[in-house]
Amino acid sequence: MNKIACSHCKLEFDESVMIKKEREGETLYFCCKGCEGVYELLNSKNLDSFYEKLGNNKLEPVNVNFDDLERFDAEGFYKKYVKTTKEGFNEINLIIEGIHCSACVWLNEKVLHQTPGVVEATINYSNNKAKVIWDGDEIKLSKIIETIRAIGYNAYPYDPAVQEEKAVKLRNEYYTRILVAVFATMNIMWIAIAEYAGYFTGMEASKKHILNIAEFALATPTLFYSGWIFFRGAYYGIKNRFINMDFLVSTGALLAYIYSIWAMVTHKGEVYFDSVTMIITFVLVGKYLEILSKRQAVDTLDRIMGSTPTELMVVSKEGKKLVPIENVEAGSTVELKPGDKVAIDGVLKHGSASFDLSALTGESEPVLKKPGDEILSGSIVLDSNVEYITTKRANESLLFTINELLSDAVTKKPKIEQLANTVSGYFSVTILAIAIATFLGWYFIGGVGFERSLIISISVIVIACPCALGLATPMATLIGISRLAKDGIIFKEANRLETMAKATVLALDKTGTITEGRPKVAAFKEFESYDKSLLYTLAKLSKHPISKGIAQFLKEREESLQEMEVKESKELRAKGVMAEIGKHKVLGGNLELLKEFGVKFDYQSENSIYAFAVDGKVLAVFELRDSIKEGAKEFVNAIKKLGIKVVMLTGDKEEVAKNIAAEVGIDEVKSQLLPQDKAEIIEQYHKEGEIVVMAGDGINDSIALAKSDIAIAMGSGADVALEVSDVVLLNGSLKSLKEAFILSRKVFKTIKENLGLSVLYNSITIPLAVAGFVTPLVAALSMSLSSLIVVGNSFRIFRFKT
Amino acid sequence: MSDNIIAVMIGVSTALGAFGLFALIWGVKTGQFDDVEKFLDGAKFDGEEELQDAIMMEKKKEEALKRKKEREKNYRPAD
Repeated sequence: MNKIACSHCKLEFDESVMIKKEREGETLYFCCKGCEGVYELLNSKNLDSFYEKLGNNKLEPVNVNFDDLERFDAEGFYKKYVKTTKEGFNEINLIIEGIHCSACVWLNEKVLHQTPGVVEATINYSNNKAKVIWDGDEIKLSKIIETIRAIGYNAYPYDPAVQEEKAVKLRNEYYTRILVAVFATMNIMWIAIAEYAGYFTGMEASKKHILNIAEFALATPTLFYSGWIFFRGAYYGIKNRFINMDFLVSTGALLAYIYSIWAMVTHKGEVYFDSVTMIITFVLVGKYLEILSKRQAVDTLDRIMGSTPTELMVVSKEGKKLVPIENVEAGSTVELKPGDKVAIDGVLKHGSASFDLSALTGESEPVLKKPGDEILSGSIVLDSNVEYITTKRANESLLFTINELLSDAVTKKPKIEQLANTVSGYFSVTILAIAIATFLGWYFIGGVGFERSLIISISVIVIACPCALGLATPMATLIGISRLAKDGIIFKEANRLETMAKATVLALDKTGTITEGRPKVAAFKEFESYDKSLLYTLAKLSKHPISKGIAQFLKEREESLQEMEVKESKELRAKGVMAEIGKHKVLGGNLELLKEFGVKFDYQSENSIYAFAVDGKVLAVFELRDSIKEGAKEFVNAIKKLGIKVVMLTGDKEEVAKNIAAEVGIDEVKSQLLPQDKAEIIEQYHKEGEIVVMAGDGINDSIALAKSDIAIAMGSGADVALEVSDVVLLNGSLKSLKEAFILSRKVFKTIKENLGLSVLYNSITIPLAVAGFVTPLVAALSMSLSSLIVVGNSFRIFRFKT
Repeated sequence: MSDNIIAVMIGVSTALGAFGLFALIWGVKTGQFDDVEKFLDGAKFDGEEELQDAIMMEKKKEEALKRKKEREKNYRPAD
């Protein structure tokens, strides 16, 4: 059988299972009805050039579902997500699912543009976010969503966080200011070259005057537009009785500027406009890099809350009714359908169903709930209709609480910046005092006149000007960060490196961090010989980690495995799979499954069990265990050697946790923890004055991650865990975690060296400047030189070997 | 070289540079660089059809506004 690509989604399937269709002499193949529908629709709307634009990209097979459309027109939904524009149109922010390439963006925009009533539709390719503006009197939102779904994509709303908008705005503002500053600096440089050449070789006063005016014209917007940030910073500093770096930069630049104007107008002495622009530009770029490294708002949070229903089906004596989630009182009876996300905590009343709790616990195994069991918000109903009674209101429920905690964690996280500011504050005051004393000293005691005294004191300010000191930290961290990024270790915020270097406790999650999270066969017993392909087919029927482990195990050991035809199959959640393959009735699962089908079998083990039975007889039994990651023991040893305490936090059973801890050499174990408990333990460490690094991968870790000083997400973990984390290890290996520790310490050491160097530099040059040996121009040059030394020292991090 | 020529040359070249600078700033302010990938792919989807699309959208917006105004004018609250 040969494989043929579907005409719409381009995925390849066997010819026999495809839908074949003749159209204008061409033979088309479709993998499903959904793809066929979309293809027809695009053709009828003359949008078939989409397939040319698509190129070699592949799409997902279309799975159209129009069932829940009415929720988009509900009042509660409108209140929450839809805004009104100035002109009176409606506006909503959507996340579009299924965008793989720029052709998809093109198609979505095009189709929305063609939809009557839609006034504006723009889609951002990088983050799949879309803004749609429409006329509410002409088209309903549900119709727009239907249009998007009809072409094989899905859309759901999100609340554009205010912080995200602010972050983008701030970035753009800085960017504009830097553009102006860089432009002015580049132009002033070549004018300054002419001035210097004229200074040494002689230049007519009239020509010099023209150059001075040109420099003045370029320096003015730089100082007052680009440098506005420093004036503002200085103003707020003084308002709070605090002299900061901003104040030093702005006084230095402003004094040099005013003096230069005086020199220009009176034709006396030299102008220093070039120093003004250079100071502003250098320091502004440094500040911009700081802003860039600050955390951006959280896309994933929007995604979680976006898929939460805004209305619930409440059952009362009068019948069923959709009620906005905010209005659902505790004690109401709510109906859930398969696939629904639970929005409010409660207790199951009627019927039983499996729940996917992976969003909360990180465990992938669904849990069967019976009447009387507690239901947590954030879990998803998998298989049947149930009714439950709410015990809380929406804003008291777990899902909401987690969301709140995460947003809190994202918005606040200062600490070290404060200290750095205090130090630079004292530094600035000292420099300013020295400069004033120098001026007064030279003017009254030295008797060299006003101009000379002013120049000398400006030199003092300029030479002490932040550069080296200001660059010491960001330069080392930036180089450290890019070095780490090269090795697949992403620091989301620069100043976290310092915290990481000072860490005293490392808290580790078990599943996925110390262990692989993929159970493997540890032991097995075969009672009779059997057809391995039969077991392979059965194992392939389920996506459960245990079944996957069995399939993997067979694939590694057997050569000729074939998937057989399955007549009938049924998956029993949390138990196993039952199927009819060929003439046999086959069972594969744990002991409970055997009991349910009346097969007598007894087996004891501390590991997970997978028994394989054909026609009521057990033929083989497998024990599976989650294996420890390679190099875990060496890792724990290496971390202990750095003087860091290692603790294991897990939601798993005590014995399992202890066994694994003993195997890798961790002394402290805390087991059977809920997400909040983990966070509490971290708090406890904080109270003891420890600096805690937490590594984990699940949403169940996210609160603890948010509480810790440094949160580390291990590679392919849950998206939320990635979002709250400060450090992401792309390959999820413990080796890179170790590297992160060692490199961050190296970076911190370099920062200290840099600070030492710049202090040394200042203690040599400031006395020279006070003594009057330095002109502002030389001061600016030597300031650059000191910066170069700091930069050079920082670059050594690149060559550092771990 | 006379002083005037120097002044004109500096003035003109700086003004030309400033023109480019303002164009760039305008691009940043109107969000044209916000989506890196779309910006880079822009060349691929830049043809007559796209231009017509943009014009169509503008017209559509105008018409929608006009209709809206008319509706508001004709609106009589139920009493």
